[in-house]
Amino acid sequence: MRFLVGYTATPAGADALALGVRLARAPGAELDVVLVLNAGDRATLTPNDPGYDRLLLETAEGWLAEALTLVPAGILVRTHLEHADSFTQGLLAAAARLQANLIVVGAATHGLLGRFAIGSVADGLLHSSHVPVALAPEGTRVMGTDEPIGRVTCAVGTKAGADGLLTAGILLARTVDAPLRLVSLVAIDRPGADARTIQLAADHAQAVLDYATDHLMDGLEVTASVASGSSIEHAVRGLPWDPAEICLVGSSRLAQPHRIFLGSIAAKMLRELPVPLIVVPRDFTVTAED
Amino acid sequence: MTQELNVSAAVEQKAGGISKKGLSAGSVGLVGAVIIGISCIAPAYTLTGALGPTVAEVGLQLPAIFVAGFIPMLLVALGYRELNKAMPDSGTSFTWATRAFGPWIGWMAGWGLIAATVVVLSNLAGIAVDFFYLMLSQIFANSAEIAGLAGNPFINVGTCLVFILIATWISYRDMQTTQKVQYWLVGFQLIVLVGFGIMAFVHIANGSAFDPTPVSLSWFNPFAVTSFSAFAAGLSLSIFIFWGWDVTLTMSEETKGSRSTPGRAATLTVIIVMVLYLFVAIAAISFAGVGGVGVGLGNPEIQGNVFFALAGPALGPFAVLMSIAVLSSSAASLQSTFVSPARTLLAMGHYGALPPAYSKVSPRFFTPGYATVASAIVAAGFYTIMRFVSEDVLWDTITTLGMMICFYYGLTAFACVWYFRRQWFVTVRNAFFTFVFPLVGGIILTVLFCTTLVDSMDPNYGSGSEIFGLGLVFVLGMAILLIGVVIMIVQSQVRPAFFRGETLSLAAPRFGEREE
Repeated sequence: MRFLVGYTATPAGADALALGVRLARAPGAELDVVLVLNAGDRATLTPNDPGYDRLLLETAEGWLAEALTLVPAGILVRTHLEHADSFTQGLLAAAARLQANLIVVGAATHGLLGRFAIGSVADGLLHSSHVPVALAPEGTRVMGTDEPIGRVTCAVGTKAGADGLLTAGILLARTVDAPLRLVSLVAIDRPGADARTIQLAADHAQAVLDYATDHLMDGLEVTASVASGSSIEHAVRGLPWDPAEICLVGSSRLAQPHRIFLGSIAAKMLRELPVPLIVVPRDFTVTAED
Repeated sequence: MTQELNVSAAVEQKAGGISKKGLSAGSVGLVGAVIIGISCIAPAYTLTGALGPTVAEVGLQLPAIFVAGFIPMLLVALGYRELNKAMPDSGTSFTWATRAFGPWIGWMAGWGLIAATVVVLSNLAGIAVDFFYLMLSQIFANSAEIAGLAGNPFINVGTCLVFILIATWISYRDMQTTQKVQYWLVGFQLIVLVGFGIMAFVHIANGSAFDPTPVSLSWFNPFAVTSFSAFAAGLSLSIFIFWGWDVTLTMSEETKGSRSTPGRAATLTVIIVMVLYLFVAIAAISFAGVGGVGVGLGNPEIQGNVFFALAGPALGPFAVLMSIAVLSSSAASLQSTFVSPARTLLAMGHYGALPPAYSKVSPRFFTPGYATVASAIVAAGFYTIMRFVSEDVLWDTITTLGMMICFYYGLTAFACVWYFRRQWFVTVRNAFFTFVFPLVGGIILTVLFCTTLVDSMDPNYGSGSEIFGLGLVFVLGMAILLIGVVIMIVQSQVRPAFFRGETLSLAAPRFGEREE
């Protein structure tokens, strides 16, 4: 597995790096730290200044060197400078070139009243990436880089595309060697909370669990539960969360094939989640090299 | 499982990702370079700001002075290009003067550049405020009341601060318009200015011009200017109208295609701008004359911002287009001007000539964030004080600006001469480009600077604002330079390393020697 961290020398960048390192502790994992600078060929009103560009380059190399000091020994890590028109484009290009399996970025947190707000960078990625994107919430860096991933949670709905999400969840759980938890979103996909809905949700959770068990080759620990509540926010708050776990969600059906498109449910979950969120592209499949 | 250790500390440089300087070399084509050049000169803004004060000095000989003003500009710009080739550095004048003459003179050259750009920032924002309210009044067909709001100092300063705030925000976040938008903006500016000239001549033909003045050859005769003082003052103003043009010369690193592109771009830019300036200047004088009443260009009431007064009479119902052209021109110029003081402050912080905070680069937007905000605060403060002190803030700032440009351009020209002293006569090209051209340019600018300084002591100089019986322009110029000296001395105590030449040393390379 190759994890790509979209780094900036900011707290959000440190959050992303911390999460990236925790993921890259998995055996055989590699970590790529990518810093994206502006491409020189974009249209500017301000004339380009070779002197300034050189200074910027040196500064950026300094930032990457600092980032490396945050990565503990024992992890295979490389740093890259990418030039692109935007941070999103740079990360996507780097991900394609390096054949990364996951892009990790920090979520901007300057939302009103301390709530999550997706930064423009994350927003671009969450609507176009062809590889899964992990959002490290504000403060991930506080946990440090030593804590292994405690659990992988898959938030599964009944809509088309749940298979891809399950595949990604199983793959990640195997990679980081953590138990897998499947959470059915059925109860909140439907309005009202009558007995029939609850029964449907329980059936769905069981079905998903069966599917997962069928597809597990080794002794991965897997559990299933039902998220319920009057709203997605309620449901997410109602679930027990391990601070060290990671949550996976699928893409909206609006997504182009094999691309990410953050759906409305996932967007609402993002606001409440206390743990990192990974958004998986539509029709995610495991390629041979994985 | 064998794990490799964290050893690959070196930054991996992949082909296709990062080129030698991080720039995709050869990114700006000929048209792009010309557009950037014109956009930096901002002809609509420059003309409205400079026409009046220059007419006040030289009267009908305005076209002659515009042509004459280009000569020192060209000479210095050629030296500027040589320095930029030998030592590309974001500190430009500061770094080059330090390498040539040592830290003290280098510091003052940097200060001169910062002062000039801060002054022009406040002037730009001031002109934008006038035209903003004029445009509103034109749109709502209520000429007197809304346009008059710009005359209220509190509303004026408030609006100006908002404009500066927006420009700072844009610069800080490094937001850029797309190339297509730039083409439209520049094209629109040129069309409106040409349209203005044509309409002026139509009015003259119809007999409906304000003060029809027949074009005469003497307008092109610089020797017809009454006194040397007037000539010098006019010249230093007309240097301002070409300021920004040097950008096209130094873009050599980025221009696409052959080696000749930068040269052609610079030539093309200057031909376009020169033709435009002459055409509009002749049209304006022919239409309005240089009389002292009404919209005559000699009227001190309108001289700080002539298109503000001329747009209505000349363009009639289309006057709003002129407002939009000047506004967009000011906005583009505000953005391209903002980077120079910020980058120089950054370089000064980087080399230890100023506190290290100035050398901070924003990790999110990759701009010199701290320095950008600092320049904005100074520009805003400068404008606010000037608005309350001066009788005609726009006029006085333009005149002060001309003086400051002469100061730091002059120093830069001499820095070029001195830095290349060991290779003057190695080739014929070097003899001209590193010795003759910058030396002559530097001498002309020095003469202009000294003449302006002495003349501006007269309280009647420029708009006639005075402090302690001395002309405001003189007081301003001296105050700016003296504040620079004081800050320099303080810095030399706090941060002696730079002033001992430890961070940026003297140099005079021989021919063929390249610096790292």
